[in-house]
Amino acid sequence: MATTAEAVEREQKLQGVGCSRRRKEDARFIQGKGTYVDDIKLPGMLFGSIVRSPYAHARIKSINKAKALAVPGVVAVLTADDLKPVNLHWMPTLGGDVQAVLADKKVCFQMQEVAMVLATDRYAAADGVAQVEVEYDELPAIVDPHKSMAPGAPVIREDIADKKEVGHGPRTHPNHIFTWEAGDKAGTDAVFANAPVTVREEILNPRVHPCPMETCGCVASFDKVAGQLTVYLTSQAPHLVRTVVAMLSGIPESKIRLVGGDIGGGFGNKVPVYPGYVVAIVASIVTGVPIKWIESRIENLSTTGFARDYHGIGELAADKDGRIQALRFTALADHGAFNSHVSATKFPAGLFSICTGSYAIPKAYCRVDAVYTNKAPGGVAYRCSLRVTEAVYLIERMIDILAQKLNIDKAEIRRRNFVKAEQFPYTTALGWTLDSGNYRAALDKVLKAVNYEALRKEQAEKRARGELMGIGISTFTEIVGAGPNKACDILGISLFDSCDIRVNPTGSAIARLGTMSQGQGHATTYAQIIATELGLSSDEIQIEEGDTDKAPYGAGTWGSRSTPVGGAAAAVAARKVKAKAQKIAAHLLEVAEGDLEWDVDRFKVKGNPSQAKTMKEIAMAAHTSNIPDGMEKGLDGSEYYDPPNMTYPFGAYLCVVDIDRFTGETKVRRFYALDDCGTRINPMIIEGQIHGGLTEAYAVAMGQQLVFDSGGNILSNSLMDYFVPTAVETPKWETDYTVTPSPHHPIGAKGVAESPHVGGIPCFSNAVVDAFAHLGVTHMDMPHSAFNVWKTIHKLGLDKHA
Amino acid sequence: MLVKLEKTFPIDAPADVAWSLLQDIQSVAACMPGAQITERVDDRHYQGQVGVRMGPASVTFKGTIEVQSVDATQRQLRLVGKGADTAGTSSASMDLTASIRSTADGKAELTGLSEVTVNGKLVSFGGRLMGQVSDQILTQFGENFAQRVLAQGQGATAQQAAASVAAQPREINALAFLWRVVVGFFKSLFGGKKPRSAG
Repeated sequence: MATTAEAVEREQKLQGVGCSRRRKEDARFIQGKGTYVDDIKLPGMLFGSIVRSPYAHARIKSINKAKALAVPGVVAVLTADDLKPVNLHWMPTLGGDVQAVLADKKVCFQMQEVAMVLATDRYAAADGVAQVEVEYDELPAIVDPHKSMAPGAPVIREDIADKKEVGHGPRTHPNHIFTWEAGDKAGTDAVFANAPVTVREEILNPRVHPCPMETCGCVASFDKVAGQLTVYLTSQAPHLVRTVVAMLSGIPESKIRLVGGDIGGGFGNKVPVYPGYVVAIVASIVTGVPIKWIESRIENLSTTGFARDYHGIGELAADKDGRIQALRFTALADHGAFNSHVSATKFPAGLFSICTGSYAIPKAYCRVDAVYTNKAPGGVAYRCSLRVTEAVYLIERMIDILAQKLNIDKAEIRRRNFVKAEQFPYTTALGWTLDSGNYRAALDKVLKAVNYEALRKEQAEKRARGELMGIGISTFTEIVGAGPNKACDILGISLFDSCDIRVNPTGSAIARLGTMSQGQGHATTYAQIIATELGLSSDEIQIEEGDTDKAPYGAGTWGSRSTPVGGAAAAVAARKVKAKAQKIAAHLLEVAEGDLEWDVDRFKVKGNPSQAKTMKEIAMAAHTSNIPDGMEKGLDGSEYYDPPNMTYPFGAYLCVVDIDRFTGETKVRRFYALDDCGTRINPMIIEGQIHGGLTEAYAVAMGQQLVFDSGGNILSNSLMDYFVPTAVETPKWETDYTVTPSPHHPIGAKGVAESPHVGGIPCFSNAVVDAFAHLGVTHMDMPHSAFNVWKTIHKLGLDKHA
Repeated sequence: MLVKLEKTFPIDAPADVAWSLLQDIQSVAACMPGAQITERVDDRHYQGQVGVRMGPASVTFKGTIEVQSVDATQRQLRLVGKGADTAGTSSASMDLTASIRSTADGKAELTGLSEVTVNGKLVSFGGRLMGQVSDQILTQFGENFAQRVLAQGQGATAQQAAASVAAQPREINALAFLWRVVVGFFKSLFGGKKPRSAG
């Protein structure tokens, strides 16, 4: 910490941690100079377009390519039979299952990949797709997961019908994927049996989709002479994908280069490996010609990385004062036709067991049953790939339901149950050790800011007049930064992340990381971390990610892990550089290392501040002979960081809604969001992330849903039907913060991007339900569209004109 | 997607006349807009096709029609049509129960009860119009049928009806049809009878 005015000025020049400096990447974005995968154009490139199943469940009787091959410009039509010789008609998923790359005799969801047409341009490819004749024999489809495990239900996955397990423990039905549980079932049941008060509610997290602005796609280019494969790919985890490609193709991993480039939003949608990528890669390997495949919007919404579809049952047991004694949550998880949910080996249901939330709950038990249905695979996405949204939604809804049952104020019941500031680190009944928090302070700050008491008074007056006004509170705890290597892995690879820093002689630096920005501003944030650690200007620190030939191995960016893991790696790598710099400084100043102290951008001799060496001077010296005997040249440092714990950001949100009692139209009057993500690296970027996350929370709570009819036909796979809020619909966000640093993170930072999504969704629902609480309504499933809200209004008879 | 519809049409002819036409499957099929029988397999089985345009989706369904039952005492006919479009992107089936009833004035009325199930691209692209489109198809069917019955009679009315039958388009006229769908949609919004859509 700089003390003198002069030092403060030097510190400000670095534009390091705490500075709301402009984002480095925006110069190219606002000029339209970003390079996205569809901007990649290689000589001789062919375009792939996918023939998809019109049916949710059917046998393929025949595929006739003849007419398609006659379309001018069409070069080839690939089907499962063409991939069989290279054994790539099926691929492993990141969930321990297998997935058909191109349908092998059978389709299990509507829009499933059946064939790929390769043509000289994308229009010819589309014409070819329309001419591929596929004969189907329709089968009955399972759309409702509650019917998946019924006796005699149609078997969706005949390929694994006899398998006793698919990656995660024993199966009890051909459509069963896994059952996962955590906590003390017997102990929890015993508390419930004797509890003074219990509440129970069925709560749905509907199937939604993050709908990133850029759809998924790739350009695969195989150099037959060098035996090298280059894939430009919309991937949030390029290194993991490279490993998967090496395993699948047999090409040495050193000859595979994945390039992420700029990515137009991921939100988990761009974590998995999709059939389109695999076919493009295989086609390029076979033909030696670059192949481009880019999804359409309809394909993106229909087939890639959906989110949620968790059919939950929440139960709480409490004493008469609303102090929760036990929690029992179960969920039926609809994973679609293949289990491609990205899951750490030990956590098939992700981090669902964070469902105790911000509350000190002595006993808890949770269980997730995952089943197959005739819908697209996924479950991985949406600003929280690891089921935290589902968990937090359950606890934040249930605590409101408990409050209503006991007629306790919804802020007060939270205060009574919070883990107290002095209890941290706090280990929950389901085994997570919350690193730090100050929940009550956060909530009290929000209540004061919005004048909560006045709002409740206004609500009482409005209720007396028959008007509908709701106040929603959400005091959530997130879990981000996967993850501690003992517990977390994907395909056996630990979820560490990495940073490799090289300082140039003139004192600028380049750092490469294993994460992958999709718009989060990594090039800025990481540079700020390193700037503060090394005393170099963040302007002169270049950040590179996503090119696997350049960057060190890492698990990528998802689950808000970049700051907790990648950011920690950057700080620790910088500290290694700094330690070496200190040795050089001691040598140059002819003092012992211990006689030096760090001062913003330089080492100075204790008690003699005029004797100092700046980091820039040290950087030059490191490349000369004027360094300690036996020391290596250069000023580099690298770190593969294994986080000792997850980070647990938290927040307190409050939402006020006014609902039209005739139309069901819900107007968000006010949304106040206080977030605590520990040390704040770039407050402007944090604010941007929170605005984005809240907007996506609003989207999910108020309008988004992937709707299927009983035949498994998707009815909401275009932007005519799928709600994406624009500035017109989006409420105004008021943001605030507290700072409770993480004790185990090198700079005390926690992830933040998921928080507003995870914490925002229940806040909207709580507000909408609160508007009807005085009429005995305890729960309303999302989305709270005007029509859905009106249904409640109509049922209650509130829409009758006097 | 499943759409259930029930409609009744007045017929300006005695019930027996209407019933005899109803048993002529080829004529019945010809009353269905855009439909035609391409082959008669036997008394109960026919092959045919239906052309439908719905927004950006234009499909020709080819399939089979099976007469499930002919009940002369009830003057009721039940048939099931099943088909898939030629590009293999959608499938449709229709379970139609048509019956003729005498009315008090010595005339008749036709009641059509249909259950249409459609799967595939047509639903994804045109799902929100499915109820209205099915409603219009059934309405046109009823009107065409009534005209055909009339055309079998004598006099000016019959001639007029015959001319109307002859002018009936062989494929659904997209624009005129769309207009009626839109009108139907607005009617349903403002309290008109809504087609029931399940699933």
